[in-house]
Amino acid sequence: MFANLKSRAALGALLGALLLPAGPSLAGDETVELGENPTVDEILSAIDQNMVFESRTATIKMTVEGKRRTRTFEIQSYGRGKDDSAMEYLAPAREKGTKMLKLGDDLWMYMPSVDRTQKISGHMLRQGMMGSDLSYEDMMASDELANMYTAKLLGTEDVEGRPAWKIEMTASDDSVAYPKRISWIDKASYIPVKQELYALSGMLLKSWTMSGITEYDGGRQFPTKMVIKDEVKADSQTVLEFSNMTFGVELEDEVFSQRWLERK
Amino acid sequence: MMNSSLLKLAALNASRKPARTVLTAGMVVAAVALLIISMSWLDGIWDTMLGGSTDMIGHVEVATPAWADRSNMNPLYENIADVEPVLEAVRSDPNVVAAYPIIETGVTVSVGEEIGEHFGGVVGAPLEYMQSRLRTEGKMVEGRWYEGPDELVLGHKLVRDTGAKLGDEVVILGVTQDGSMSPLKGKLVGILRAGTPAIDAKVYLPLERAQYLTDIPGGAIRVLAFGEDYKEADTVAASLAGRLPDYAVRSWTVRPPWNQTYAMMGAIRGMLFFIVVFLAALGVWNTMMMSVLERTNEIGVLRAMGLTRLGAVGLFVGEAVAIAVLGGVVGIVAGVVPYLVMKDRGITFTEKIAQDMGDMLPTVETMYPQLEPSLLVTAFLMGVLMAFIGSLLPAIHAAMIQPVVAMRRN
Repeated sequence: MFANLKSRAALGALLGALLLPAGPSLAGDETVELGENPTVDEILSAIDQNMVFESRTATIKMTVEGKRRTRTFEIQSYGRGKDDSAMEYLAPAREKGTKMLKLGDDLWMYMPSVDRTQKISGHMLRQGMMGSDLSYEDMMASDELANMYTAKLLGTEDVEGRPAWKIEMTASDDSVAYPKRISWIDKASYIPVKQELYALSGMLLKSWTMSGITEYDGGRQFPTKMVIKDEVKADSQTVLEFSNMTFGVELEDEVFSQRWLERK
Repeated sequence: MMNSSLLKLAALNASRKPARTVLTAGMVVAAVALLIISMSWLDGIWDTMLGGSTDMIGHVEVATPAWADRSNMNPLYENIADVEPVLEAVRSDPNVVAAYPIIETGVTVSVGEEIGEHFGGVVGAPLEYMQSRLRTEGKMVEGRWYEGPDELVLGHKLVRDTGAKLGDEVVILGVTQDGSMSPLKGKLVGILRAGTPAIDAKVYLPLERAQYLTDIPGGAIRVLAFGEDYKEADTVAASLAGRLPDYAVRSWTVRPPWNQTYAMMGAIRGMLFFIVVFLAALGVWNTMMMSVLERTNEIGVLRAMGLTRLGAVGLFVGEAVAIAVLGGVVGIVAGVVPYLVMKDRGITFTEKIAQDMGDMLPTVETMYPQLEPSLLVTAFLMGVLMAFIGSLLPAIHAAMIQPVVAMRRN
C-alpha cells in the first residue's frame, strides 16, 4: 500500500495542476478505469492521466475572503509543459497588469506600477499570493515536491456523498512546508476533491477542496472550483473559480519569457 | 538636664574633635551632593529620552483594540478604516493640543533596476508631524521635506545602504493590509541624519502614499495625540478613553517598552537613594561610634549626674543631626554648583551610543541635567536622615552605659 511519489507529478501539484500545467510525458487523453481495490500507485497514475496536460489556458476568478473585507481578482492563466506557466492580473485596477512567470523552479513577479520585476524566493515563497490563502510556494508545487513524499492508502471515505480514496503522504524531509498531507481522491473522476496539509507538529495548516467537476473534450474531468483555507488565519478563505478552460492549445513561446513579463 | 544644655554639650563635643566633625559632615556633604548630581543627571537624561520618544510615539495612542493587543506584530489589517471621525473626536478634546494619523510598516528599499534587500520602515504621516514631532530641525542634511505625493525622504542609513542620491527614483516594496506585495516609487528629495536607526532607517512619505502602499484608503494604523506635556499623558488618555469607547487609548506610560523602562527608572532611583544613604549612614555611624567610645568615661559621669538614657541618645543624635544640617546646606551648594556648570554645557551623546540605544533615543541629543526644587529638599532631608540613622546605634550604645562601670574604666 506504500508508494514513493517520485515521478508522480499530480498529487504534489494538486493546485499546480490547475494554476500550472504538468509535463507532456504525463499527459493523457484516455480515460482510465481502476479495479475495485487499486493500489496507491494505480490511483496516482489515474490522477496523472486525468489532471495532467500539455498546455492549458483559463480565466480564474480569485475571491479572497478576509476577516474585514473580501477582494476579487481576475486572472488570465497560461500553462505549458510541466514547468512553465504565466499569469496576468486583469482586475482589480490596483493589480491590473501584474504578471507572474514560473519557469522551472524560478518564479518572478512583474509590478507595473514601479516597472520592476521581483524574483520570489526564500521566505517570500511562503507569503500569501496577493494576500490570499494560497502561498507562492503552493503555486510552485511540482514534481520536485512530489519527490519528497511517501504515500499510503488509508482506505475509503465519502466526501460530499461521493466515495473517495483516502491517501496519506508523509515527507521524508522535515524542511518542506507541509510535512504531511492527507488527500481524498474521488473514485469516479480521480480528482483530489479534498486535501489537508499538516505541520510537523500535526497542526492543520491548510485545507483545500475541489468541486464543480466538469467533463471536457476527450472525457477529461476537471474541477472548476477550488476553496483554499489557511487554517492558521482566522476567518479567511480563498475561492478560485475557473472558466474558459481550454486544453491542448498552441501557446506562443514568448508568453513564457521575461520579455512577455515586462511587456506593457 | 535641660534640652538647651544638651544642645550646648552636643555643640561643644562637635568642636572638641574638629577632624571627626569634619569627617561626619563630609559624609553628609558628599552624600547630598552626590544625590543632587546623580539624580539631576538621571532626571535630565530620562526627560530628554522621554521627551523625544513620546514626541515620536505620541503622548497617547489611539488604535483598534485588536491592533493594540498585538501591536508588536503591527497587524495592518487591524487598522482604523475611517480615520477622520476618530481624528475629529481626538482633536475636540480640550486636553489635546495636536493629533496626527500615522501608518508605519516594514519595507525593502532599493534604487535602480533590481529590487534589493535593504530593510527599513515606512512612516506615513502629515508633514506637520514629521517636522514638529520628529525633532528633525537641523537634521535634514541634504534636500528638503516632500512637497508632492511622488516625493519621499530617506533616512541616512538607507541612503548609505542603497547608494541613493537626491533626485533618484526610489522603489519601496511593502505589503498591503491583506498581505499582498505592494510596490511604490518616489523621487528622493531629502535625506535625514539623526544618528539613530529610529530616524535613519526610515522612509518618510505623505500619509496618502502610505495609505496606498498598505491599501488602507482613508485610514490609518493609529492616531497619535499630544497634550501640553508628556507627563500629563495619563490625564489625556483618560479623557480620550471616554470619548472613544470602541478604541484602545493608551498613554505612553503603559506602552512597551516604555512601561518597563518607566518602572525600571523608578527602581534605579530608589536603589541609588538607598546606596547613597546607606553608605553615608555607615560613615556617620563610624565617626559617632568613635566618639562614644572615646567619651565612655564622660558619659558615665553625666549618667551619674542624672542624665537619662533618653538624654544620652538625644546628646549623640542631636550632635549628628546638627552636623548633618550644616553638611546638608554645604552639600546642596556642592551639588548645585556642578549642576549649574553642566546645565550650561551639557553632554552630547555620540552617534555610536545613540545607535546602541536604538529606538530608546529618537535622535542624538545634548543631554542636560534637570533639577527640581523638590530634589534639593529631598537630598537635604536624606542627609539628615542618614545622620539620624548613622548616629542612632552609637547613641543607644551610649545610653546603655552603666555609670559605675564607665567611671571604673579610667
